[in-house]
Order: sequence, then structure tokens, then C-alpha cells
Amino acid sequence: MSTKQGRMGWLFASPYLIYALVFFLIPLVWSLFLSFTDWNLISPTFSFVGIENYTEALKSPGVQSAFWVTFKFMAVFVPLVVASSIVVALIVQGLPRFKGLFLIGFFLPYLASGVVSSLIVKGLLSYNSPVNEFLRNAWGLDIDWLGSPFAALFVVAVIIAWKFTGYYALILTSGFESIGTEIYEAAMIDGVSPWQRFWKITFPLLYPALFTVLILSIGVTFGIFTEVYQLTGGGPNFATNTWQMEIFTRAFSNLQAGYASAIAIIASVVTFISIFIIRKLLEMWGKRNGWS
Amino acid sequence: MKMKKAASILFAASLTVAGLAACSTGNKEQSSGTDKNGVTTIEFWAAPNPTQQVYWKEVAEEFTKENPKIKVNVSPMKESPTSEASIQSAIAGGSAPTISENINRGFAAQLSESKALVALDELEGWDEVKESRNMTETMNGWEFADGHQYVLPIYSNAMLFGWRLDILKELGYNEPPKTYSEMLDVAEKLKAKYPDKYLWAKADLADPTAWKRWFDFFMLYDAASNGNKFVEGTKFTGEEKAGEQVLGLMDDLRKADALLTRQSKDPFESGLGIFVDVGPWTIPYWAEKFPELKFNETFTLAAPPVPDGMDTENVKTFADTKGLVIYASATKEQQKAAMTFINWVYSNPDNDLKWLEKTSLPPARDDLTTNDTFKAFFDKNPALQPYAAAVPNGIPPMDNSKYNDIQTFIGQHAFNPVVKGEKDPKTGWKDMQKAIEGALK
Repeated sequence: MSTKQGRMGWLFASPYLIYALVFFLIPLVWSLFLSFTDWNLISPTFSFVGIENYTEALKSPGVQSAFWVTFKFMAVFVPLVVASSIVVALIVQGLPRFKGLFLIGFFLPYLASGVVSSLIVKGLLSYNSPVNEFLRNAWGLDIDWLGSPFAALFVVAVIIAWKFTGYYALILTSGFESIGTEIYEAAMIDGVSPWQRFWKITFPLLYPALFTVLILSIGVTFGIFTEVYQLTGGGPNFATNTWQMEIFTRAFSNLQAGYASAIAIIASVVTFISIFIIRKLLEMWGKRNGWS
Repeated sequence: MKMKKAASILFAASLTVAGLAACSTGNKEQSSGTDKNGVTTIEFWAAPNPTQQVYWKEVAEEFTKENPKIKVNVSPMKESPTSEASIQSAIAGGSAPTISENINRGFAAQLSESKALVALDELEGWDEVKESRNMTETMNGWEFADGHQYVLPIYSNAMLFGWRLDILKELGYNEPPKTYSEMLDVAEKLKAKYPDKYLWAKADLADPTAWKRWFDFFMLYDAASNGNKFVEGTKFTGEEKAGEQVLGLMDDLRKADALLTRQSKDPFESGLGIFVDVGPWTIPYWAEKFPELKFNETFTLAAPPVPDGMDTENVKTFADTKGLVIYASATKEQQKAAMTFINWVYSNPDNDLKWLEKTSLPPARDDLTTNDTFKAFFDKNPALQPYAAAVPNGIPPMDNSKYNDIQTFIGQHAFNPVVKGEKDPKTGWKDMQKAIEGALK
């Protein structure tokens, strides 16, 4: 490649590079700097506190809960959203017409405001809502949806799964469509049952799309905020306290920008390591199925 | 070929510029103060509440007509996601306004500690404001730990408790209970007659979010302690006896199955609960959305209940009160102009009347019940009279920069676990005190 062509390449890549520099690299360096200070961003003075913010954060119940809560969300949200998006993709795949229209329909929740959907859910699950009145009267079920630790976590996971299902179904639909029909025809000739066809043919061949969906959905669990902020405030008793919630509380309610930055850096490291390990595990699984 | 390259370069450059331009907040550069015509422009951030924005726009226009050398730009405060966060971001980003409303005492303490606010008592014209607005008494409770005044309280909502009078009457009471034992009697009779109803149905009782303590714990604590200060400077000064009595009341109500801490829709309005904290802003809301709720027929208002044996007259309560601040980042001319504006607004009680009519929030003045300017309004709105009468009994929020941590600890270590039956009142109070003292060090 000539030097001129190289320059043109850089020039065309520059909008994104500048964007990444302004919105990712500079904030990251700034955050790293802040994390070693006791600055609240508005005070004219501040002092360097070394690694004190980090040691304090690691001991804090809020940070510890954020760490575990993220993995709990992952355990509930990821299987839920992957299963539901596979189901939606399969349904759309089986439609004779208007596939695109249905996919758009399923995609719409992705565009919905997290605040609005959370408020609707809050109303639906209130103690005296028709849903709860029915559950109490018909089956004697009295569930404290947002007041008991697991139920609250489950409710938030379901809302986010509802939001992302259509988006992931789009990715999976393209995965389904990339599987050649001749493979299914050969399987039919060999007398493969629909169950076997799905697990032995479709599922392994869906790996590239599934890999993307799994990584994306795992990433989502590290960034949960709006639904938790609106519905539970991180409670009950830290049961839904996510990294973002903890960072927000520290930075904007307690005006501890330095300390919040340390939490953000810890969260980034945890996110990076977790996704790296999960990615390696998924790649190992892919290799076993012939994907290199 | 050359044209093509040039066009490509131009296109890429345009993309970059457009991308960066799209990231602009669109904020105009803050005025440095006074322009060449001698006009000083001040930026005023109004609360994110349409009625308050309309009020400030109107008074700002009237003011500028009379004072053409000062221009007041009124714009709504952003809530992304809270107004406090927006103010913090604006200060950090160098785009803070000259003056804003909607500031509570705790947040003001955080800002003043960071030297982001101007001490109002050091500005020329401050004493005139206090005098002309008749707010000297009210302001006494607003002095900060360093002896300065950073906030001019606009309104003072001395919080009251609403009682479902119709249900109380069914239980054989003609007025709300005033003491803890009377309250427990009501709870007992309520559960006997209506097992599905609760005395206090409120999910916030089990929620540790800091500000929620203003509307449960502090209302009861201010009443039980006769307005004792919870924290002074870096010292925890909470009154143990009063605190344990408050927690004891909650424990007794829980034992009587009189508390519902589940999220529920309009629990008081629907009669699911018969007791609720009510601010004056709720009265016009009820009049519009729940016209069946009639003052002194369906519901009534009362001061917080007090422990047995305490005087039931002039009971103290938490005052949800917010006010105006002037930011230190403003130029001297702007600060002076802002004080001129404040002086102009509050030298005329008609402006407070206009405020009252638009927002129903009682102005923080000593003469609210005696000044004839407001008489006609309160005659027309009898449900707001108890709020005006309670203004002198209102205790503003603590002026501690760690108020958020402190109030979270009250919930986490004492109030919430007692309400849920996970701790006894004594243990709750001790754990809370230990946590607060640790935070104050």
C-alpha cells in the first residue's frame, strides 16, 4: 500500500478515531486520574490519595454486592434472553410471509425508553394491581415482586430480556438463514427427528451468531442502570445493586467523583476479565464443533 | 481524479466536524457579565416543574421591564437523571447558572463545602431581603454550621400526615390520634374491622434511599425530639430516647400487621392505607385526580403523632424546603444583579401570593398566616391552611455534606430492618449510630 493510500485510510478512519479519542480514551485517562484523588469535580482543591479509593471500594458492601449482583443477573438474564431470542427467531423463520415486519415488531421494545417500561412494570406489579389481585384471589399467591431479593432481580432481568430479545433475534435470524437447506434435506433423508435436527445441526451451525449474542448479552449485564434505578434503587438490601447504580450513587448523590472513578475502573477490569474468560470458553466450545 | 480526492477529503472532514458538532450541548456561552450597553445578563435555572418555570419567567419579565439594565434568562433545570447531578455536571463543566432554585439544605452544604456557592449574607442587600420578606425567624433555622447563609428558602413545606377521616369515623374516632398509644389503638381497631387494610401502606418504608427518610423517619423524629438536631458539624447528636421511640412505634405497628411495605397504587386514595405523609403539593393533585377526597370529610391533616406524655400542641415536623442559591462561578456583576433580582421579587408580597397561587407551596415567611395578602387565598383553600400554620414548626433538612450517607444509614441500619422485623429498635439505633459516627470521622 502506498503512503498516499495509507493517508487516505487514516483520513477516512479519522471520524471514528476522533470519536473514540474524545469519548473513550480521554474519559478513561481522566477517570484513572480522578480515581487517585479525593476530588468531587466542583471543589477548587483536591488531594492525591494514592490507592485509598481502591482499597476503600474493595471493602465496601456496595461494591461487593455490585460484583455478585452482576453475575446473578448474568445467570438469569443471559439464558432468558438467548432462549427467548432463539424462540422468536425460530417463529419468524417459520413464517411464510412478512418476516421483516414481524422482526421489526419484536425489535421495537429495544427502542422503548427504559424509564417508561420500568414505570409500566411498576404499576403492573404493585400490590393492588389486577395481576396481583388475581394471583392472591385465584391461587393465594402473594408475591412481593420488588421487595424480595430474588423476585426483584428476576423482574429487572425479564424487563431487560424483553427489551433485547428482538435485537438478538435479528442477529440469530441471519444466523439461521446462513445455514444451507441442503444440510436439512440430507438430515431428513437420514431420518433425523426435529429435536435432533435442532440440537445436532441448527444449534452448532448457529455458533457464530450465538457467539455474538452471548457476548453482547453478557456485556449488557455490566451496564444495567435505568431499570434498577427506576424500580428498586439497588435494593432490597443491595440485591439489585449493579456497578452503574453504585457508581451513580457515589458520583452524583454523595459527590465522590474520585471514589466513583475508582469503582468505575474496578468495574472495567472485572468486565474485561469476565468477558475475556467467557469468550475463551465460548471459543473452546466452538472449536469442539468445528469452528476455528 | 484530483476533484474526486478533494471531494472525498472534504466529505471525511465534514463527517468529523458534523460528528463533533452533534456532540455539542447547544448551550450558549455563559455571559461574562455586563455587555457594552451596560446590561448584565444572569442565567436563572428554575425547578423542573412547569408551574415554577412559568412563575419565574413571568416575574423575570416584569423585573426586566422595571430594570432594563439586568436581563434574567430563565430556563428549566435538567434532570439527567436528577437535578442535583445536572447542577454538579454544570459546575464541573463550567456552565453553571448565576442563580438557581430547587436546592435543599443538604445539597447546599455539599456545594458550599466545595466553595461552589456564594454566602448570601456577605452580599449587599441580603438583610433587606430578610426584612422586606418578613423571614427573619424562618431564616434562623437555616444558618449553616460555618455561620453563613447559602440558601434563601423560597417555600417551607412543613410536612403533615393525612388521615382517612371517613375510615377513622367508621372505627369510632372523630379526629386523628395524637399519641403513639392512640395510634396503636386505631391500628388494632382497623385490623379487627378491615383485615385487608393497613394503617400505613408505603413501599418507601423498606427502602434505604436517603431522601425517603425525610418523609417517614424525620417527620416522626422531629416530633418526638422536639426538633433536636441529628448531626452538628462532625458530631452525631441524635437523641437516643426519641429515636428509639420512633423505631419502637414502627416495630409495634409491624407487630400489629398495620404496615404494608409493598409497592401499591394510590394506597391512601384507595383506602388501602389510612395514614400517609402529605405535602401541600398533593392537595391540588387530589382535587384534580381524586375529587372524591374532601378535606375534613374524607381526609384530614394532622401533625405527626408524638410519644405518650408529650405535649401535642406545636408539634415539630420535617420541613421539605428548598430555596435559591447564587453560584460562586458567576461574575461579581452577575452576583450583584442576582441579589437585586431577589430583592425585587421578595420586596413585594404579591409575588409570594402569585407563587402560592401557582404552586400551592407555602412561601417561607414568618407572616404567612397574619399577612392580609394571603388571607383570601387560604380562605379559598382551607386544606392548605394547616401547612401555613405549621411553617414555624418545620425543621429543615440537616446541613451536612454527608447527609446522603447519613440518611442511607438511618434506613439501612435502623428504620428499614425494624420495619421488616429484622432488628429490634435498640439494636437498630445502636448500629445506625455506629455507622453514622464512622462516616462523620
